[in-house]
Amino acid sequence: MGQKLIRHFFRDHLGQYLMAIVTIGLSKVLQVQIPRIIGNFIDQFRAGITPLMIERFAAEIALVSIGYVALFGVGQFTVGKLARLFEGDLRRRLFGHWEYLESHYFEQHTVGDLLSHVLNDVPAIRQALAGGINQTLQAVFLFTATLVMTITDINVSLTLVSLIPLLLIPAVVVKLGPKIRRQSRVVQETLSAMAGMTEESLQSIRLVKSTGNEPVESQRFTAKVDTIYENSMRLVRLNTTFQALIPLLTGISFAIALVYGGALTLDHRITIGSFVAFTVYLSMLVRPLMQFGNVINIFQNSSASLLRIETLLQAEPQITDPENPHAVPVHGPIVFHDLTFTYPEGSEPVLRHISLTVPEGSTLGIVGRTGAGKSTLSRLLLRELDPPPGTLTIGGVDIRDVARADLRESVTYVPQDGFLFSSSIGQNIAFPVEREDPAQILQAAHDANILATVQTMPEGFDTVVGEHGLTLSGGQRQRVAIARALIKSHSRIVILDDSLSAVDGKTESTILDALQALHDKGRTLIITSHRLSSLRLADHIVVLDGGEIAEYGTPAQLLRNNGFYARLYAIQSQGSENHG
Amino acid sequence: MADSVQRNAAAKSGSSQTIRELLVYALPYSRLFIGVIALVIVYNLTQVIQPYLVKIAIDRYLLVRNAVLAPLVEIGVVYLGITLIGLLANLFQTRVIASAGQQVVRQIRIDLFSHIESLSMAFFESHDTGRLITNVASDTTRISQFFTQFLLSVIRDGLTIVLVMGAMLILNWKLGLLSALVIPVIVAISLVFRPHLHKIYSTTRSRQSRLIGFIAENLTGMRIIQVFHQEKKQLGAFNHLNLPYQNANVNEFRWDVFFNRSFDLLGNMSVAFMAWAGGMAVFHHSIKIGVLYAFISYIQQFFEPINSLTQNWNTLQSSMISAERVSAVLATPPLLLDPPAPLSPDSVTGRIEFDHVGFAYDPARPILRDINVTIAPGQFIGIAGETGAGKSTLISLLARFYDVTSGAIRIDHVDIRDMRQEDLHRWVAVVQQEVNLYSGSIADNIRLFRSEISDTQVKEAGRITGADDFIRRLPQGYQTWLTPHGANLSAGQRQLLAFARTIVLDPKILVLDEATANLDAVSEIAVQRGLMEVAKNRTTIVIAHRLSTIRFSDCIYVLDKGRVVESGTHEQLITGRGYYAEMLQKSSLAQHAEIT
Ligand SMILES: Nc1ncnc2c1ncn2[C@@H]1O[C@H](COP(=O)(O)OP(=O)(O)O)[C@@H](O)[C@H]1O
Ligand SMILES: Nc1ncnc2c1ncn2[C@@H]1O[C@H](COP(=O)(O)OP(=O)(O)O)[C@@H](O)[C@H]1O
Ligand SMILES: [Mg+2]
Ligand SMILES: [Mg+2]
Repeated sequence: MGQKLIRHFFRDHLGQYLMAIVTIGLSKVLQVQIPRIIGNFIDQFRAGITPLMIERFAAEIALVSIGYVALFGVGQFTVGKLARLFEGDLRRRLFGHWEYLESHYFEQHTVGDLLSHVLNDVPAIRQALAGGINQTLQAVFLFTATLVMTITDINVSLTLVSLIPLLLIPAVVVKLGPKIRRQSRVVQETLSAMAGMTEESLQSIRLVKSTGNEPVESQRFTAKVDTIYENSMRLVRLNTTFQALIPLLTGISFAIALVYGGALTLDHRITIGSFVAFTVYLSMLVRPLMQFGNVINIFQNSSASLLRIETLLQAEPQITDPENPHAVPVHGPIVFHDLTFTYPEGSEPVLRHISLTVPEGSTLGIVGRTGAGKSTLSRLLLRELDPPPGTLTIGGVDIRDVARADLRESVTYVPQDGFLFSSSIGQNIAFPVEREDPAQILQAAHDANILATVQTMPEGFDTVVGEHGLTLSGGQRQRVAIARALIKSHSRIVILDDSLSAVDGKTESTILDALQALHDKGRTLIITSHRLSSLRLADHIVVLDGGEIAEYGTPAQLLRNNGFYARLYAIQSQGSENHG
Repeated sequence: MADSVQRNAAAKSGSSQTIRELLVYALPYSRLFIGVIALVIVYNLTQVIQPYLVKIAIDRYLLVRNAVLAPLVEIGVVYLGITLIGLLANLFQTRVIASAGQQVVRQIRIDLFSHIESLSMAFFESHDTGRLITNVASDTTRISQFFTQFLLSVIRDGLTIVLVMGAMLILNWKLGLLSALVIPVIVAISLVFRPHLHKIYSTTRSRQSRLIGFIAENLTGMRIIQVFHQEKKQLGAFNHLNLPYQNANVNEFRWDVFFNRSFDLLGNMSVAFMAWAGGMAVFHHSIKIGVLYAFISYIQQFFEPINSLTQNWNTLQSSMISAERVSAVLATPPLLLDPPAPLSPDSVTGRIEFDHVGFAYDPARPILRDINVTIAPGQFIGIAGETGAGKSTLISLLARFYDVTSGAIRIDHVDIRDMRQEDLHRWVAVVQQEVNLYSGSIADNIRLFRSEISDTQVKEAGRITGADDFIRRLPQGYQTWLTPHGANLSAGQRQLLAFARTIVLDPKILVLDEATANLDAVSEIAVQRGLMEVAKNRTTIVIAHRLSTIRFSDCIYVLDKGRVVESGTHEQLITGRGYYAEMLQKSSLAQHAEIT
């Protein structure tokens, strides 16, 4: 997938890549002319020289350099620019793919892990496509050109003998390279462990502060930083050894050239100008040889990143839309047919043999202890989780047979945690709709009983709620989340998953009045709560216990049953016994 | 005009101040740096000698009649020896400076983290965590490059330039002075590019951090995006940030290439210039050919450090930007300081007094007004009130997340502003509705990684709060590994853990801020039973919507729009026709019962 992306990108930009190859190639051919010109220049002194000739040599060097620099700059920029375009496109693909994956995937990966794909892997691939390709082109062309020049213009045996130590350079690079890479990955991992711990600690900053736990946190952080230090130093030791070996080999090669080249000059087998030119060429060979090694490292490094990105892009949601989706019926009940559900990585079912009918336009209350399976039930209805085939139907159509976009258009939802984006209150409420219509926002805010609060804020609906809605109180956040669900006024099914727990009784009561209005308009309501007062609208109540339906009936029936519900009723009405 | 001059001056002093702040961290290593400079000098000398050796070879042994090979071999051997010495010097210099640099960064990281943790809550509301994490993680890494790359480059390359220049002047001072002409050209090019590059870099960085912040938030809220199937809308918003960042990247690269190629060109033009000037000198017999060779080599050598310096200029730019951001955080004073002479009693009884307390987050909008409440040690207090009434705010003041705007809060007659915050937080514990988990075992999550809290204490806390029940049922019990997004714990279970982690600290004053809202009635009863037990010898304040939770309080205070409007026991309050009675009626099951 990832490799295919790169191949396609090359193909789509073939013209520009060819242009870059040609310009870089030409530039290197020009570059290697300079030592030759200098060599000829020096030889000319022995043959007799005039000031005019000196000027001509100097001008020749200048012109060749201008050509070389311009061509090289153009080629280098082209390759680098293309790589950055690819990088931007790859980021977009990643984001798009994440949107395509289901919540199960996000439970398996932390946000930090996912972000590191964007922060580390994508740039690593970019680096291979920019620096990697640039250096390869440079190295190949420069090495070949230099070799051709020394062999044809100077002396074959001198070239070969002096080259022997230099040829060890790529070997050293390839030998030490992987070690360095492994160590640098360790360093990278320790760095991201530190980032992860920082994230964790800052997200719990209230807890840290209120427990006076700052010293403990600093201690844990210091331990992380110490591992970074140790591993970084190990990396430095490897790196410096590597970097010392290269000049050593170059030095040996240069010494050979000095002695052997000198001997050849004494024997008049080469001219003094050639001797000088050769020493310059030799220094020009060092860089491409190092680059060969570098390039191998860059490519290996990015291949690991490419692999990770490929894995990510290949991850497929386990929940998919049917090929020929049915429309979601406008009318008809929601029916659970003997539904048993186990989480993909769970061992035991969290819902067992649920058989239940929610008539159109009725209100179902779901109560039960924490962990009874209430949220799971709503997630099934939103098809965030996949019910077994044939176990969950709306108006007689299996919800597995409808497109999720359609399903989620007809169902609206208020989550338990009331997640908000760090945009304005108005934008948060209008989140589910295409266009922000102030009148609609106003209506939804009114229905969720948040309008008065928003109007007291200096900036009204433009008030920015801060990260995770931090500047709002829990109840305010929850009511914005309710308004966000209510703005989808056309949705036939409304699910509130424990959404009223953070609001006080009075607010709850007002919101329930708004829900009553929805109920009167014929909407089907499913309200999950462990607080019975939230369920006063319910036509029917189901009591879940350990994933099974423990009781079902109208509130009056359940009260007479003397079961869990009646007990709960007794407990919760204690607060109001004198009153009632 | 005067204004812009002033602003420029301020900007300049800003960045030189940043460098100074970085160097303060390096101060303890100043001896090491002197060692490094010595090694660098050795290394550079060996580099400068090499062309000189070739010059000797050419002028003395190759361009003479009846030359022999032996001296050439000697020169070759000397050359190798010098290379080896240079190499060792280089090896050590790099290691020493890297070690110093890493230690400096280690210290900066620790200081930065501890400093951030010490900042007041108001800071965390105005700074998003994503950016702070970038400060700790990537900015400090970039700063480390200042020490390991830039500083080394400045020392090494700066010395190289000086030595090469010196060698040229010694060989032939006239030609040497001519070569020095390139220096003003280099300075001019740098001056033209510098401000521009700086602007371009900071544009790229700020666009990057906005994009990363966006991605992080959307990954967190991906469920909401999907449930409301707003994938297209968010992808549009993403593109809106991604494209500008991509363009900034391309633009940055364009200028990088332009800048580096300019120096490349300048280097080659200098060779041409040297060929002309030196050639003329040879022509006029003022120098020998070997000297010309040496000059051409030297002028090339001269550009190597220049190139390396410009490469590292980028490093400097990015580490400066990072350093500015880090020092901005470090310069933020914690708003709430411990007093110079703290009055911290060794122990407290748990008497709390809110004395005419007023508070506003934003001066224009007072949240709490004239709160007067005195709580006797060991009392069980309930606080009721509508959402937004200011209940949580009141608790934030007690925990001193913020300082009161007027009035005072006292614990055992001591103003909490006169206490060490460390002590205050030992006595006051707050359980909130949102529960943050750490990657670590359940036991670690309860003891908050404090080594002094034993497993027995952890289990005891679990037992008191009733968390023990579900923990035991987990396959690995207290050793079960949790992650911050621990999806396999239900909200109620997480809440029980939060409760246990507070109890284990044995606070004198325990505050539950709607902590039981997520618990089902049965779990709540379990918690409440535990609560009654732990409340015995401490002051307990419970904020709850469900009035049944606070029904048995010694006293209930009702907050409305930031004022205490009623107080009394449950029985006293319901007889009145006040706010509490109304709330009770609204939330009661009476309406429910009507249906039945
Ligand atoms: N993503 C998940 N993977 C595995 N188990 C889960 C997941 N989410 C919830 N559970 C388990 O499913 C059970 C029911 O959870 P849930 O539906 O959230 O309960 P409720 O909403 O009634 O509190 C619990 O035992 C919980 O631990
Ligand atoms: N960090 C904050 N910055 C600005 N305003 C805040 C902040 N936290 C809360 N508020 C405002 O203060 C008021 C009281 O909030 P809060 O104390 O959380 O209420 P309660 O806990 O009673 O529901 C609300 O109007 C809320 O918008
Ligand atoms: Mg739930
Ligand atoms: Mg609150």
